Amino acid sequence: MRYVFYLLALLAGAALSFEGAIYAELGKTIGQIETSFYNFFMGSIIMGLLWLFFGKGDLSYTLKAPKWSLLGGILGVVYLTSIVVSVPYVGVGITMVAVILGQLVMSMVIEHFGWLGSKKTKINKEKILAVLSMIIALILIN
Amino acid sequence: MGLFIILFTLIGGITLSAQSSINGTFSRKAGTIETTFLTFLTGTMFLSIFMLFFGSGNVLALVEAPKWQLSAAFLGTMYLLLTVMAVPKIGVIATSIAGIAGQLVIGVIIDHFGWFNSLVIEIDIKRAFALLFMIISLYFIYKGNKRSSEETD
Repeated sequence: MRYVFYLLALLAGAALSFEGAIYAELGKTIGQIETSFYNFFMGSIIMGLLWLFFGKGDLSYTLKAPKWSLLGGILGVVYLTSIVVSVPYVGVGITMVAVILGQLVMSMVIEHFGWLGSKKTKINKEKILAVLSMIIALILIN
Repeated sequence: MGLFIILFTLIGGITLSAQSSINGTFSRKAGTIETTFLTFLTGTMFLSIFMLFFGSGNVLALVEAPKWQLSAAFLGTMYLLLTVMAVPKIGVIATSIAGIAGQLVIGVIIDHFGWFNSLVIEIDIKRAFALLFMIISLYFIYKGNKRSSEETD
């Protein structure tokens, strides 16, 4: 049953690639920050509707939750901005390698120490090999 | 300057994995849809300020943009929603690796066919090997995760 969630994560990445290619076109006509804004604005509307009709959780938890757990939206903006700023200077290839490297190493550290409320799972040989294989793949693609 | 920019981009990657874990934690109490909704809402607030001060484009041109370009928002929403669903089940690193693999595979395919006006870069031996290493990476992360969950059981 767990492999379904691997498939979902793969699908999430696929969506991100399509999104990136399409937004590159939109960015040319309306501007890059404007494109980011549009993405978040439309996302709010789509999720607002989904929440109204299908939300079973507890949105009021927002007010009780520790403040650091509300930072998700801002972090997403930092991510997007760093890409927009970086591509014109160092190109798409290096930008992609740097972003993914930061993401993978940080994921490993977060899980190893169980930071930010994630389940604590130790780094093992297989995880390091997984990250190494991904780095080789990235070098080959560029 | 180049090195400074690369460091900044590394931080971008770091924030993305921090976002995945924070949202995963938040969703356990608040729910998946609620977490994604809140992330978009706070992101919009932040970007509104950012756009007003630093935006040099024309956001009103959205009305004239082709509809297929505007439909990308559904994909962006799907990405976040699926990530929030996956993290509590398989962890941050497995979600990141699987997500990156999906991203690169589709990226290579888009390049190969030159979809969405992108540069045409055909699949060659190097890229075929890159795809192979990605599959190897997915295999290792699956095994590694299985082992650590067996150890904690």
